[in-house]
Amino acid sequence: MLKIDDLHVAVGDAEILKGLTLEVPTGEVHALMGPNGSGKSTLSHAVAGRDDYEIASGSVTLDGEDLLALDPNERAAKGLFLSFQHPMEIPGVQTMNLIRTALNAQKKARGEEEVSAADFIRTIREKARLVGLDDAKLKRPFNVGFSGGEKKRMEMLQLAMFEPRFAIMDETDSGLDIDALKMVGEVVNALRGPDRGFLVITHYQRLLEYIKPDRVHVLAGGRIVKSGGARLAHELEKSGYEQFIEAA
Amino acid sequence: MSQSLLINPSAFEAGLEAIFAARSTTNEAQAAAFARFVKLRLPNRKVEGWKWSDISAATRKLAPENAPESAQIIAPTPFAALDPIECRIVNGRIELPAEPAAEGFRCGLSDPVATIPELETHPVAALNVALTGKALEMEIAEGVSFGRPILIRHINTGVGFSFAQTVLRVGAGVRAALIETYEGDGAGFYSHLFHTVARDGAVLERYVLHDTGPDSIVHAICAAKVDGAARFDQTSLSTGGRLARHETHVHYWDPKSAGRINSAALLCGERHNDFTTEVLHLGEDCATRQLHKGVAADRGRNVFQGKFHVKRGAQKTDAQMAANALLLSETAEANHKPELEIYADDVECAHGSAVGALDEDALFYLRQRGLDEHEARALLVDAFVGEVVDGVENEIVREVFHARVNAWLENV
Ligand SMILES: Nc1ncnc2c1ncn2[C@@H]1O[C@H](COP(=O)(O)OP(=O)(O)OP(=O)(O)O)[C@@H](O)[C@H]1O
Ligand SMILES: [Mg+2]
Repeated sequence: MLKIDDLHVAVGDAEILKGLTLEVPTGEVHALMGPNGSGKSTLSHAVAGRDDYEIASGSVTLDGEDLLALDPNERAAKGLFLSFQHPMEIPGVQTMNLIRTALNAQKKARGEEEVSAADFIRTIREKARLVGLDDAKLKRPFNVGFSGGEKKRMEMLQLAMFEPRFAIMDETDSGLDIDALKMVGEVVNALRGPDRGFLVITHYQRLLEYIKPDRVHVLAGGRIVKSGGARLAHELEKSGYEQFIEAA
Repeated sequence: MSQSLLINPSAFEAGLEAIFAARSTTNEAQAAAFARFVKLRLPNRKVEGWKWSDISAATRKLAPENAPESAQIIAPTPFAALDPIECRIVNGRIELPAEPAAEGFRCGLSDPVATIPELETHPVAALNVALTGKALEMEIAEGVSFGRPILIRHINTGVGFSFAQTVLRVGAGVRAALIETYEGDGAGFYSHLFHTVARDGAVLERYVLHDTGPDSIVHAICAAKVDGAARFDQTSLSTGGRLARHETHVHYWDPKSAGRINSAALLCGERHNDFTTEVLHLGEDCATRQLHKGVAADRGRNVFQGKFHVKRGAQKTDAQMAANALLLSETAEANHKPELEIYADDVECAHGSAVGALDEDALFYLRQRGLDEHEARALLVDAFVGEVVDGVENEIVREVFHARVNAWLENV
């Protein structure tokens, strides 16, 4: 279970999260919605361990383990994965090399055996096909010159390769075409299971057609202002966030 | 020293003068060269082109003596897999290859060059001409098919100073590779002057691996005359020293010559490296590509000075220069000076220079994927330098360079 309790996060002088509390039990998929600038990405970066986000108070645990005490790579090794809203381009690093280095770093940290080159190549080819990236892309420098949609597919490729215990997907759906949206649904649904959790950040109901959330939360004014079932996303689509912004 | 010609010499300069005076074999050209040096002196930071590499200050406290006669232990070369024709220059003393090598290849000792016209006003070149005993002279005859690379190992140990010259003439149409390594834990001063000619249609690949101890002071000059349709392709990798300066002077006199001058520096501790290059385009339709990557950590200092001269007759010159530095600490420094001097109108020339730090967003991304801080930084630095290393045509040289980069990254 990912458990966030009374989290206060500041960037520079600005307090962005002001006592956010959220629980995503293992085995569930929760959606997080909220207006632009409300702090959804701030939350995902803070949970992943980006150090220019100052955590004033509160706690974040994954299956009871304090994440805030760990380095970002240690959190990754514990099974936390973040699909970035704006994935990076990394010139000079071959895609396949990056993913393999990362996978082996995680395995090493967990005391597991590294994957062999042959196994790795077989698996990544298979998963790349699944997310709609061709082999040539795997040999190119990581994300360099890729389209917005391709970069999101690359995030899904990594999700599929790492098979994390808990994934935060920050607007994976933005910039994706309809087929890609469906693919994201397939990748997530294939991984979905009793020992995995997901927090899906999105602005639109569309993605949630493919990934049926167990719960939906609304973030506004630095806090969760409303939580409900899958229907809440439908209601928001109609009514917008105005009521919450005023309330917050 | 009552007859000293130098006004207010440093201990080092006085030592140089004493050694020059004690030479019995000095010829007229060397006397003239020393006279030039007396006028020019060891350059300090006030001299144009030496602002960031003050060789006068760096050598001031050096013991005024000849370097030791021989090195104690010589490590095996990482280039052994190439089966090179190996020459060593140990503290300035030339050791010729064990067996006379291939057909069409000549290798021996000769008198040092009198002067190189383009380097007439170069203070360290003048000093080198004055103080070099014998030069290593190599020639590859025209049309010879020559598979083995030549390896020159410059090994310096102890304190004191030493001088050497090498000459390589590459016959028309020949394809040759020369590797030079600068090695040893010496804490003295070493000056090397390399003069090469690539005749019509020849290709000369030159690789330089500078991997000395932290206290070395090395000044190396490569003067390359590239004839018609010949090609000079150089890649250098340096981990610097107390002061390391590698100068490359390339001259195209005829049409359709080409050159590539790539370099990378990896500098930690207090290490300093200076790649200074000058390409003179005189013939038409010549092309130059230059890429420099410098990485400085701790208090390392990366110096790059690149200049393209394009003379009036050198129409259709195509010359591009890019120099990038990555600073891994607040106290590391990069000093870049890219320059174009163009007197022809129908040319395509460009230069660019950038100095920056590692991209924090990229670092966080990699750490989220599971790489620890050291691994993430190493991956990004390796990628940065990779552009130079991956461009090396010779596969074994490329591997050796890669290995050296990786070893460096282990310790940063
Ligand atoms: N590094 C930063 N420096 C300054 N301000 C920041 C920084 N990161 C976030 N902010 C500010 O914090 C607020 C929350 O930003 P955040 O990116 O978390 O919003 P979001 O909910 O993800 O928005 P969107 O829906 O547009 O993705 C915004 O006002 C943003 O400008
Ligand atoms: Mg966001």
